[in-house]
Parts: sequence; C-alpha cells; structure tokens
Amino acid sequence: MNVTIIRVLILSSLIPAVSGALAHDRYIVPTHTVLSGESSQSVSVISSISNDVFHPDRPFGDNGKGAVPPSLKGYFARLQSVVINPDGSVSKDFDWQAFSRLSVGDLKLESSGTYRISVIHPEFPMTTFQKADGSRGRVFGPDATLPEGATDVVRRTTASRVETFVTLNEPNRAAMKPTGKGLELGGKGHPNDLFVNETGDFQLFYDGKPLDQSAEIVVVRSGTRHRNERKAMELKTDEQGGFQLSFTEAGFYLFQAALTLPGKPESGIDKHHYSLFVTLEVFPE
Amino acid sequence: MNSCLLLLVLLGSPAPAAEGVRVEIVIPQLDARPYHRPYVAIWLETTERKGVHTLAVWHEQDEWLKDMRQWWRKLGRSKEPPYDAVSGATRKPGSYRVLWNGLDAEGRPLPAGEYYLNVEAAREEGGRDFLRQKVVLGGDKPQHYTLTGRGEIGEVHIEIDGGK
Repeated sequence: MNVTIIRVLILSSLIPAVSGALAHDRYIVPTHTVLSGESSQSVSVISSISNDVFHPDRPFGDNGKGAVPPSLKGYFARLQSVVINPDGSVSKDFDWQAFSRLSVGDLKLESSGTYRISVIHPEFPMTTFQKADGSRGRVFGPDATLPEGATDVVRRTTASRVETFVTLNEPNRAAMKPTGKGLELGGKGHPNDLFVNETGDFQLFYDGKPLDQSAEIVVVRSGTRHRNERKAMELKTDEQGGFQLSFTEAGFYLFQAALTLPGKPESGIDKHHYSLFVTLEVFPE
Repeated sequence: MNSCLLLLVLLGSPAPAAEGVRVEIVIPQLDARPYHRPYVAIWLETTERKGVHTLAVWHEQDEWLKDMRQWWRKLGRSKEPPYDAVSGATRKPGSYRVLWNGLDAEGRPLPAGEYYLNVEAAREEGGRDFLRQKVVLGGDKPQHYTLTGRGEIGEVHIEIDGGK
C-alpha cells in the first residue's frame, strides 16, 4: 500500500492554509450522517460561507425565495445543487433557502444506502492583480476589465465542490463514485464509517481519475470559534492522491483539499484552482 | 443419510464452539429525569473486529438503533438483519441474564477461537457505554470475566463453560 501520511502539523494560525488567499471556507452540515429505520428518514442541512468551522457567517445557496446579499447574487447564480442517490442516480431539485447567515435545506432519504449532497461551483474565471496604490484586487468573469495601472496580473479559474455524505441503514459506494468533475473524495474508506482510533484509506480524484500528483489537505474539527487554536491537521497526499485519515476526537470535521494546475499555453489562463470541502462526522469508540 | 453428511461436515470444520455462554448484565438505577430505558446490544466480533453474531438487542424503535453505534455498524445495519430472533424490548433497571448456546443465527456453531464479546448501551437523553472482552470459544477451560461500565451499564459477568 503506497498510502502514507506525509506530515501532520498543528497550525496555530487562524488563516486557512488551503487556498486561503483566494476563498473563504464553505460547508454543508447535515443534522445526521448515520440513520436507521425501515421507513424513510430525513435530514436537515445547513450550508454557509464561513471561516469559523460550522459556525455560519453568510448563506451559501438559494432557491430564489431567500435573502441573498447583492454581493453574492452572481456567485449563487453559478452554483449547482446536486444530490447523488444510493443507486447512483442524480437529483438536481435539492432546494436551498438563504437566510441572513446561512442557507437551509431538507433531504428525504427514501432508500437505504449512501447519499452525497453537493453544491458545485463550476470552473469560472477570476483575475487577481495589484492596484496602482499597492492594494490587491480581483475581478470575476471572462472579460475582466482591470483598473489602470494594474500589475502582477494573474488570470485564474476557480472551481469548487462542497459536499457531505449521509447514510440510511447499510452504507454503499454508488454515490462515492467520482462524477468526473473537479476534485472528489474516494478510496476504500467510507465517509459515513469514521470512528476514533481507526484509520481509513482515502484517495483524491481529479476529473474522475486518481490524482497524478500530491495535493494539500487540511482537516479541522468543529468549534474553532470557541477555542484559541485552530488545531488544523495538515497533510499531503502521496503522488496518486492517496492518504489516510485517523481521528483522536469525535465530532464534525471539515475536510478541505486544494489543487492548482498550470493553464495550457496560449489558453489565456495562468492557473486553475480546484477545491473540495467535505463535512465528515467521527464517532467515539 | 442427511444427518450423517452433516456430522461429517461438522467433524471436518474447526472444533465447534457449541457451548454454554452466560452474560449477566446490570442496568443501573439512574437518577435521571426523564429516564428512558437504555437500548442494549450484546454481540461477538472476530479479533479483527468484524461482526459475527448478535446475542441480544433490546430496543423500541428502529430509528434509534443507530445510536448503538458500534453494534449498528458491525451487525445492525446489514440488509438482512440477522438479529430478529434475539431482539426484544428495552429493560428497566435490574440484573439480566442472556444465555447463548454457541450457535449463529442459522444454527451453526461458530468456529473455535478467540473473539471479542461486546456490550453497548445508549440511553435517550443519557450517555453511551461500550465494553469489550476477549474470550475463547471452543476452548477447554471455563472462563469468567467481570467488566464494569462507566454509567449506562453496571457490572457485566461473562461465563463460558469451556470443556467441550
């Protein structure tokens, strides 16, 4: 097995290490990740854009009926809300509603197995630059108009997947199968079968295939708002995207992975950024 | 003829563990209001921690079976729950004895060897307790173990006859 943990650091910094310069953390938190019962069950889900893990700050996703700040309207319009069912079928009617600090949704689990709930931001251009006064600026969209005197211009794209998994009765793997778009979590381990003092083997996929390079991962336990140190676990995958997760404390965790790929020559893009946020729940032994 | 065949099969497999196993479990009286009776599961795992057989499940509603988290993942959540014959209602505080004859849900003796015997309890608006003891099935010596829970389970006595 060529899966290794390269290193684990405790970061005292409050700055998220993965793509922190480009974006805020985003997450989806389900009320339950493991459910039992012969009848159908439900989970309610909260999503937010926030750098405090699982303490919401701004909404993330809306069905057109909620309270969307004007600054987020364009961003929300690009988001795709997707649920992959235990049989692998895809539902695109998942309904988020924005409130001032968070968005909420409800999912009915009609059949046994594992569901994946995703909010996907497809690849979209973003240009970063330094303004004439020395401050940093960024503009979104394919036809970015830069202020006069802009220097250090970097043409980027960003794409993200924000996901979580929930399981009714026996877990299965159809919803874990990579869809082929962006960074995704796979491997032998199961995101709904995580317990303290056990080790799970996982793997990152890019565009449906195992990574062919190392990527950075940061895992942070919930409750950063109420502790002075962020206590992020920082790891790197091996060259095939493989890594192991083990936990010493139960709770909800935000898993983040990031990958930056150079743009193709003459594509007009310097860098492509891909990020993945997955909410995981870990149970005590 | 058929019984001859069965006998041969049994002789050909590892020494069967058909034997007497008694688990005595105390559900403690707790000063909790409201008090809900705990959900309790008793089961066997291999030494690699793979679920093997459920000895008892005391519960009320399926929806909360998942709160016996270890039992749920090891045996409870499988598609064909093989614990119907050993499930029952939750018990009020007191001392209870669970008897097991060493046979799995299909009436076959488990292969002799080492196992973990697990006891888990989860109480609504209360805590969770999880105890584990390595035991030998199909051995030639009687065994007796005493475990003590941390709140939701009192003393647990495990007696295994041995002397196959």
